[in-house]
This record gives sequence, structure tokens and C-alpha cells, in this order.
Amino acid sequence: MKFRRTHRRPRGSEETDLDMVPIMNMFLVLIPFLLMSASFIHLKVVNTSVPVLGNGKASINQESTIKLTVVATLAKNQIDLSVLSEELEPVALSKWERVIHISGNPQEAYDALSSHLRSIKEAYPKSDTLILVPDSTVIFEKIIQTMDVARASENGPLFPNVVLSGKVG
Amino acid sequence: MALGRKRRKKQPFIPPKLQITSMMDMFTIILIFLLISFSEDPNAIRMDKDMQLPKSNAKIDYKTHLRVVVSQTSVKIGEEVIARLEGDTILGMDPDNLNRSDLYRRLKTFSPADDTTSDDHRDPILLLCDKRLSFKVINNVIKTAGMAGYPNFQFAVLQEK
Repeated sequence: MKFRRTHRRPRGSEETDLDMVPIMNMFLVLIPFLLMSASFIHLKVVNTSVPVLGNGKASINQESTIKLTVVATLAKNQIDLSVLSEELEPVALSKWERVIHISGNPQEAYDALSSHLRSIKEAYPKSDTLILVPDSTVIFEKIIQTMDVARASENGPLFPNVVLSGKVG
Repeated sequence: MALGRKRRKKQPFIPPKLQITSMMDMFTIILIFLLISFSEDPNAIRMDKDMQLPKSNAKIDYKTHLRVVVSQTSVKIGEEVIARLEGDTILGMDPDNLNRSDLYRRLKTFSPADDTTSDDHRDPILLLCDKRLSFKVINNVIKTAGMAGYPNFQFAVLQEK
């Protein structure tokens, strides 16, 4: 005797549609709320410091490699560059002095600054500090742009430690 | 021969079902994405509408220790207004006596009591400065902060695309 399987549904279990409307309503409230409170700004930072008084234990470079500190004085229309080092004679230091004029296109000035800093870096690869001395009238945006140029170029890092200093006197 | 209209059997009206499954899928994905991006950054910074940060190629993420906001109208620590700005002048701040300003006193309350920490290891201040501000204003703020025991700073910038 054959017993055939029945494919009948058990009684009482009917196909029911889930009522999605309340969930949809909830989503419609949540999504605009989250969109409003979401931030799409990518905030990053530029590290800097101010010059501080030393504690008398200043590290003297024992290595043969000379380390220079570049000083960039930023005015509205020009950037004056000079270098400091205890290990070099003033004559040797003076050859790195340069004045870059910022005329119509500031990008040209930044390119000139970048290439000059690159040549200092190539001559003294251990150098990593630049002291930026902006004029009191220079706007903050210009300072950040100069810091960007000083920190790195397309060919690699230049002077990652940028110290911000006010003019003395 | 009767030429009458052929009577059709009237079908009962069945309201059409809205197919919302695909819409639900889409909404679920958006909701999950928004919830993740919301929880990703618990220290998200709220900025004033008139605040304009400079753009930079910097790639360093910020650490929120102490936040000083310098806008074109005020100097704030967090949400607390410390001083008002009039042009390039911070009201109540004498550039020759920065340690008598409210900003110095307020920053001093946050700085660690022991001064043994080396300058390199002190927590930096996160400075949010408007890009239109002159260095005169910023210099007074950073000098005051340096005197109060915060020589290291992080300038907040917008990432350049």
C-alpha cells in the first residue's frame, strides 16, 4: 500500500504579508536625522610649536652630518630665507640666503621656495627644522600654505618640524 | 438576432500592492552607513557657521585634548567664550602682559600641575583658527598658550581633495 505525501499546508497557517509601513516610517524619520547630524568634513591637523627656553641640555650633534635650521620670514609680498647653524661659518651660511617675491601668482613663489628648500635639504639631509616668522599682518591661510610647502614637496619630506615664531622687537 | 452588448463579468477591485522590499533594502543600507559614520568619530567637532578653516595637504588626525577656537569674533576654549575680538585686537588681552589675560588663567587651570614633563611630550592644543585672521591675533593666542604650559599646537585644517 502506497502512502502519498501530502503537500497540503497545515490548517491555520495562511500566507501573511508583513506590514512594513511602520518600519518605513521609522526609517524615514531616522535617515534625515542622521543625515543632518553627520559631518562630511575631513578635519586634519598641522603640527607646530613655539620656541621655548632650553634647559641647558641642548643636544649637540656629534655626528659629522651638519644640521641646519632654516628661518623663513614671511611678509605680505616676500619670503626672506636664511639659515642658522653652529657648525658652519657665516660665509657658508650666507650663500643660502634668498628673497622670494610674491607677486601676481603666489604659486610661483611657493614653487621657488620649495626648490630652494629642496636644495638646502639635499646639501644637508639631516636638517629638519624650519622657523617660520610671519609678519603680524599676514593672514593665517597664507601661513598654512607656506607651512605646507616647507613640510614636504612632491619629491619627499623637506622640513617636517615647522616652528612658528613671532617677530622679536 | 439580438445585438446586445456583451456583458462582461465585473471583476472585484483589488487594490495594487506596493512593492517596497527594494526600497527597504536601500533604506537599510543607508541607515547602516549613516550609523557607522556617526559612531566612527565620537569627538566630532562642531564649528560655527561663520568659521572658515584653511585647506592643507596635512594628513595627520587630530587628538582632542584641549580645543581653542579663534574665530573673527571670539576666542573660546571648547564652547566657553573667553574673550571677544574687535578687528585684530583681543579685548582684555595686553600683548605685553599676556599672563594677566583671562585666556592665560583659564589655560593654566587645565595645564598639568607638575612641570617635569618634557616639552615634546606635553599634549598639544587643538587650535581652530579662521583662515582670515591675521598672525597678530594668532601669535597672541599661541604665546599665551606657550606661557601657560602648552608649547605644542595642532592647527585644524580642512583636507585638500
